[in-house]
Amino acid sequence: MLDLSMAERTLRRALRDGGDFAEVFVESRESYSLRLEEEKVEENSTGRETGAGVRVAYGESMAYAYTNDLSEASLLETAAAAAAAVRGGGAAADLRVPSPSTQPAISHEVKMLPEGVSREEKLSLARRADRAAREQGPEVVQVIVALGDSRQRVFIAASDGRCLEDERVRVRLLVQAVAARGGDIQTGYEAPGMLGGYELFERYDPAELGAAAARQALIMLDARPAPSGPFPVIIANGTGGVLFHEACGHGLEADAVFKDASVFAGRLGEKVASKLVFAYDDPTLPGIWGSYRMDDEGTPAARTPLIEAGVLRSFINDLKRARRDRTAPTGNGRRQSYRHLPIPRMSNTFIAPGDLSPEEIIADTPRGIYAKKLGGGEVNPVTGDFIFAVTEGYMVEGGRIGDPVKGATLIGNGPRVLEGIDAIADDLDFDAGMCGKDGQSVPVSTGQPTLRVHELVVGGTAEVG
Amino acid sequence: MVTGARGGGGVEELKQAACAWAEEARRMGAREAEIYVQDSGGVTIKVFGGEVEELRSSASRGVGVRVLDGGRLGYAYCSGLEPEEVRRTIRDAINNARYSTPDEHNRLPEGAAEGLVSPEGLGMYQPETEEMPVEGKVELALRLEELARGQDPRIRAVESAAYSDSVYRVALANTGGFCGAYRGCDCHCYVAPIAGEGEGSQSGFSFAVGKKPSDLDLEGCAREAAGHALMLLGAESMPSRRTAVILDNLIAAEFLGVLAGALSAEAVLKGRSLLAGRLGESIGSDKLTLVDDALMPSGMATAPFDDEGVPSRRQEIVKDGVLRGYLHTVYTASRSGTASTGNARRGSYRERPRVSPSNFYLDPGERSREEILREVGEGVLVLQLVGVHAGANPISGEISVGALGMLLQGGEPHRPLREITIAGNLLELLKSLSMKGDDLRFLPLGGSLGCPTIVFDGVMVAGRS
Repeated sequence: MLDLSMAERTLRRALRDGGDFAEVFVESRESYSLRLEEEKVEENSTGRETGAGVRVAYGESMAYAYTNDLSEASLLETAAAAAAAVRGGGAAADLRVPSPSTQPAISHEVKMLPEGVSREEKLSLARRADRAAREQGPEVVQVIVALGDSRQRVFIAASDGRCLEDERVRVRLLVQAVAARGGDIQTGYEAPGMLGGYELFERYDPAELGAAAARQALIMLDARPAPSGPFPVIIANGTGGVLFHEACGHGLEADAVFKDASVFAGRLGEKVASKLVFAYDDPTLPGIWGSYRMDDEGTPAARTPLIEAGVLRSFINDLKRARRDRTAPTGNGRRQSYRHLPIPRMSNTFIAPGDLSPEEIIADTPRGIYAKKLGGGEVNPVTGDFIFAVTEGYMVEGGRIGDPVKGATLIGNGPRVLEGIDAIADDLDFDAGMCGKDGQSVPVSTGQPTLRVHELVVGGTAEVG
Repeated sequence: MVTGARGGGGVEELKQAACAWAEEARRMGAREAEIYVQDSGGVTIKVFGGEVEELRSSASRGVGVRVLDGGRLGYAYCSGLEPEEVRRTIRDAINNARYSTPDEHNRLPEGAAEGLVSPEGLGMYQPETEEMPVEGKVELALRLEELARGQDPRIRAVESAAYSDSVYRVALANTGGFCGAYRGCDCHCYVAPIAGEGEGSQSGFSFAVGKKPSDLDLEGCAREAAGHALMLLGAESMPSRRTAVILDNLIAAEFLGVLAGALSAEAVLKGRSLLAGRLGESIGSDKLTLVDDALMPSGMATAPFDDEGVPSRRQEIVKDGVLRGYLHTVYTASRSGTASTGNARRGSYRERPRVSPSNFYLDPGERSREEILREVGEGVLVLQLVGVHAGANPISGEISVGALGMLLQGGEPHRPLREITIAGNLLELLKSLSMKGDDLRFLPLGGSLGCPTIVFDGVMVAGRS
C-alpha cells in the first residue's frame, strides 16, 4: 500500500528530532451499510476511505498525526507534525530500515467477498429477516434491519524494521423487533457478525434471526414483573459473555491496570475466581467477529490466558504497555481507524466451556432466574460493581424453566461473580458487538457457555407480597 | 496544520471543484445531486509535568455525494479529492439510490442561494490559527500548565492542560444551482489543577475559547480553574433540601445539550422528544429565551449556510418561555409541512446531514454575577456537574446529576459542597428559571452551546447529613 522507501523516508522524518519509536500505519477501507425501517430502505450507503497515521513515542509521551493524502509531501508533513512534540528531546532511536516481515502464521479465510454479492442479494437478505419478524404476529409493530459489510486493508512499517500487511473482511446483520400490547412495549434483538464474508448466512438464516428477534419481544409481552432479591442466576450461553467483558475484561486491559482503574491491579498469580473458571482472549478463532490475524501494531494474534482454574494469569496489552510492564506484547493493540492511536483492547473474550449440559444445570436449580438475553449495563471499572438489564428472562422452578419475567436487572460485582460461579456447561457461544473506549469503537465478541452464579441480586419490579 | 490547504486560500478551488462535480453528476445520470467537500485539520496538545504527554495532529479531506432520484436517496463518500475517485463515488451514489425506497420528503433545498450572506464579516477565519507552528502551540499549553501551578502554593499538580484547534474549509454544490464555500477555525484551551491541603484534595477546571491562539486568556483560565480547586477544598455534603440553585456560567451550558436534543424535529418525528406536541405552549418561565444563531459573529458553529445549503439565520426557538418551533432539515421540514430552519449539519463528509443546533444559547439578561449572588442570598452555587449525559433522560426529561459547588449564605460563598445531587424534571427546572446573568459563555465541547449564570428556584438538592 505504501512503497518501502516512502515508508522509510516517513519514519526518518518522524525521528529526526528524537524519539524512541516511530511507526506509519496505512489503511484503506470500503464499507457498505443498508438499513430497513418500516419496510423502507432508509439508508443505502457506500464509503471508500484511505489514510495514514504516523506516531512517535518518546518516554511516556506519544505524538500522533494523520492525513488522508498519501502524497510524499503530505506524509512528510504529517511525520513532521508528530515530531514537533519531541521538542529536540534527546537522541533518536536507530532506524532499522523496514523490510517485509514474516507474516503471522494464522490466516482467516474469506469465502464470499462483499463485492461478489449483488445489491439485490444483500437487499433480499435484509428483507427476509424483516418479513420473518413481521410474520410472527400483528403485535410486532416495528422492525429495523441493518446489514453492513467492510473490507479493510492495513499496512504497518515501524522503526524497529517490521513491515506487515493484512486484510480484514467483516459482515454483520442486526434485527430489532418491537412488539406492543396495550401500553406495554418490548423489544427483541439479534445481531450476529463474523470476520469473513457473506458465508455468515450459511451459518445464520436471516429469516430465523428475524423470527427469533420478534419471538423474544412477543414472549416478553407475556412476562410478569420479575421478583427482587438474591437468587441463583443461570446465564445462557452467548449473551452472558457481555457481563464478563464489561465487569471483568476492561479491568484486564493494561492501560486500566496502570492507571489503577482496575480491581485486578497487582493481583497476577492470585486466585480471583472460582476454580471452575478458565477465561481467554483469543483473536485467532476462525470466523468469529472480533478475530484478526495481527493487531493494528503488527503483533501476531494469539490466545491469551486471562484466568485459569480461577487464578489470574495475564493482562492484555499493546506495544507501549508491554514495554513499560517489561512483558511480551499480547497482540491486543487495536485502533478504530488510521485516525486513532492503538490502545489495549479485547478481541474475543470468553469463559471456556465446562462439561455439564445446560439441561443438567437447570435441572439442578430448585429456584432461580434464567437470563436468556442480557441488554445494556453499566460498570464502575474501579470497583467492578455492575448493573445489567435482563431483556429476556424466566423463572426457574423445581429444576425447570417457568414463566417469563420482565424488568429484571442483575446487580453485582465482577470479581465476586467470578467467585460465585458454581456450574459451567459445554455450550460455548459468542455474541458480536462494538466496544467503545476512549472514543474508539472496535468489533469484539463476547463468549460464554451456559453457567450458574450461586447468588446474584436481582432487581425486579414486582410488588413485594 | 491543514495539509490540503497549503498556500492559504483554497476555498475558491474547493468551490469550483464542488460545482463542477455537481454538473458532472448530472451528466452521469443523476437527476438531482449534492456534493459536499470538506477539508479540515487541527492539532490537540496535552501536557503534563512540563512535558508533552500527547500530541495529535490531523489533516483530512473528502467528498460526500447525495443523489436523489424521484425521492430515492443514495449516499456515498470517499476520502481525498482525486477526480477519478470522486467520479467513482458519484457512480456509487447513483447506484445506491436505485435500491432505496422512494420517500417524497427526500429533496434538495429550493431557491438555490437566495438570502445568502457573505462569509466575510462573520469573523469565521483567522490566519493566525493556521500559520502558528505546532511548536508555538506546544509552548502555549506548557505556559497554561505553568500558570495554573503558580496560582497558589496549595496547587499540588495539574491533572491536565491542553490546547486544541481546528481549521476547516467547506464547499457545497447541488444540481439546483447552489454553489457556496467558506473557511473557518476555532481554538480552545483547558486546564484542570489539583489543590491540596492536609489529606484533602480537589480539582477545578476552566477553559477559554477563541478564533485564534492569541484570543485565549491563559492567565484568566488558570486563575479561574485554580480558584475553583482551592474554593472546593474541604468540601462536604449537606442535608437534602429544596433551595435555589445557581449554575455558574462555566458549566450552565452543559444542561442545554439535553434541551437541544429534545428540540430536534427528528427526535420529535420519531417520538423521542419530551417537547413533541408542545408547539405554542409555555415550556418554561418567561426568562427562558433560547436562540439558535448560525450567523453569530465569531461563533464556533457560524457559517453562511448549513450542510445542505439552506441560508443561515438567527431564530428564537423558545421566546419568553413559549415554544415557537423545532430545529429542521429540509427532510424533517417537508415531513412536518414547514420550512427548513437551516439546521442540517454533518460530523464529516462520511455522514449524511442530520438535525443539529448551530450556536445555541440561552439569551442572557442584564445582571452581573455578583448582583445575582447577592439577590439569591441563600442557595447552592454549582461549579461542576458530574454525569449530565448519563443522568438525563431526553424522553422523560428526568434529570439526576452530581454536583460540586458552594453553599451560599447572605449572598456570599460560605462553605464548599460535594456529593450532592440535583434531581428533578427538565421542564419543571425550566419553569423555575428565575434569573439570568449578563455573562453569556460558550462551551468548547459538544457543539456550540452557550449560557449565562442562571438561577433555578426551589430545586431538590439531595445530599447526606
